[in-house]
Amino acid sequence: MTRSRSLSPAARRVLAALAAAGTAGRHGYDLCAETGVKSGTLYPLLIRLERQGYLAADWKTSDVPGRPPRHIYRLTGAGRHLAAESPVMDEAQRTLPEGGLA
Amino acid sequence: MRSLTSLILRLARALLPASRRQWGDAATRETEEIGHPGAALWFALGCLIWAGREAIQDRLQKPRTFGETLMNLSGQRPGAYTIAILCSCAATGLGLAYMVMGGAPGRYLAINGGAFAFGLVALAILVLADRRGHLAAGPVTLSLGLILLATSLWGVTGGEVTRWLALGPLMIQPSLMVVPLMAVLFARSRDTLSLTGVVLGALALALQPDRGMAGALAAALAVLAIIRPNRAALTAAAAAGVGFGATMLQADRSPAMPFVDQILYSSFDIHPLAGAAVVLGLVLLVLPALEAARVDPAGRSVYAVFGAVWTGIIAAAALGNHPTPLVGYGGSAVIGYLISLVVFHRQAPERGRFAVETAADPERDGPALYTTGP
Repeated sequence: MTRSRSLSPAARRVLAALAAAGTAGRHGYDLCAETGVKSGTLYPLLIRLERQGYLAADWKTSDVPGRPPRHIYRLTGAGRHLAAESPVMDEAQRTLPEGGLA
Repeated sequence: MRSLTSLILRLARALLPASRRQWGDAATRETEEIGHPGAALWFALGCLIWAGREAIQDRLQKPRTFGETLMNLSGQRPGAYTIAILCSCAATGLGLAYMVMGGAPGRYLAINGGAFAFGLVALAILVLADRRGHLAAGPVTLSLGLILLATSLWGVTGGEVTRWLALGPLMIQPSLMVVPLMAVLFARSRDTLSLTGVVLGALALALQPDRGMAGALAAALAVLAIIRPNRAALTAAAAAGVGFGATMLQADRSPAMPFVDQILYSSFDIHPLAGAAVVLGLVLLVLPALEAARVDPAGRSVYAVFGAVWTGIIAAAALGNHPTPLVGYGGSAVIGYLISLVVFHRQAPERGRFAVETAADPERDGPALYTTGP
């Protein structure tokens, strides 16, 4: 059985930013700039969200010709549900449902 | 700064386990899109910390060699020599990053970068000479001892210590260049000339006095005497121990220089990332010895001496006003580290062959491990 753990403030901010972006999604550096989360924290967080089915990470072709594609991140249905349940509150002590972030 | 950022990202990508590599690629692409070079550098340093954590976790879950981790760089398993070069490059780069964060003068960065380029050329020359049989350990070690002694007698004095030589506008510290090479060459060949060179070196360090380098030499030779004791090793260890003791009895009033001494502590005052860069850079300096000893057990004593001498130099930097190698300002340590890597080139599994051919006389020639078969 997976242990339930509370979401960190950084995770809540990232989820909120992704939820606000909707289907357009966000790039990694945009998330850092918008949430103040450092890259060393952001990527492990994105990896866990993706592994647990809350996030979809896709390579998106650049609008500028000749530029290589970038990763774009969008919440899945489960991710949107998790974001709605986890508002940005530093003092929040909510816990994930079973199978949450491990 | 862009090239430094790129170097950090390459290292981060190399550290990441294969299952995380596409995330490393994604982070690299993000960094390329960041317009401000400083912001890109911060982003890259964060990624390096993340990659380091991933590498540690992966290694704990699935033990493997550091060389296998670095396979990501080239797609093939690098040898200890390649790993050592990469580590020196990364440590120097991390030092430059720390100095940029600390607002060091541009001249400091140029000198460390220039020393790295010079050290690579010097290393290439030494490796070539060694391959052709022209790097006779005895005469070379004796010459190094004489250089140290000449520095002690006629070098530049500052703060009651005499340990520098003036080369035009540059002030170099020969002991940082000479002592590590001397120690590893002696570990490879413990003949009378080498022993004489080491004893002269220990005397020179006692005269300067230089506690840091004398302690590093004593530590390296003590390790050698423990691992492979013989009369020469014990005599050298005793001489180095006496020399180190002599330095402890003398006052060492070298003042702490910005970006040179005490940076293990002061770097964290600048920023936690600057401190992390310094610590990671120092760890990288001893990693090649661990990797080489793992894949080449026959040469373990030489690699142990390499690890001990650089650990000693790092410990001296942590404990007193002694230069912090590679990550701090100072070209002498950069050059000294690179030329001491000459003992690594003989172990060369990166050539893709695995049968082992030991040297004709390991006691004389050291742990040569040329590979001969598929």
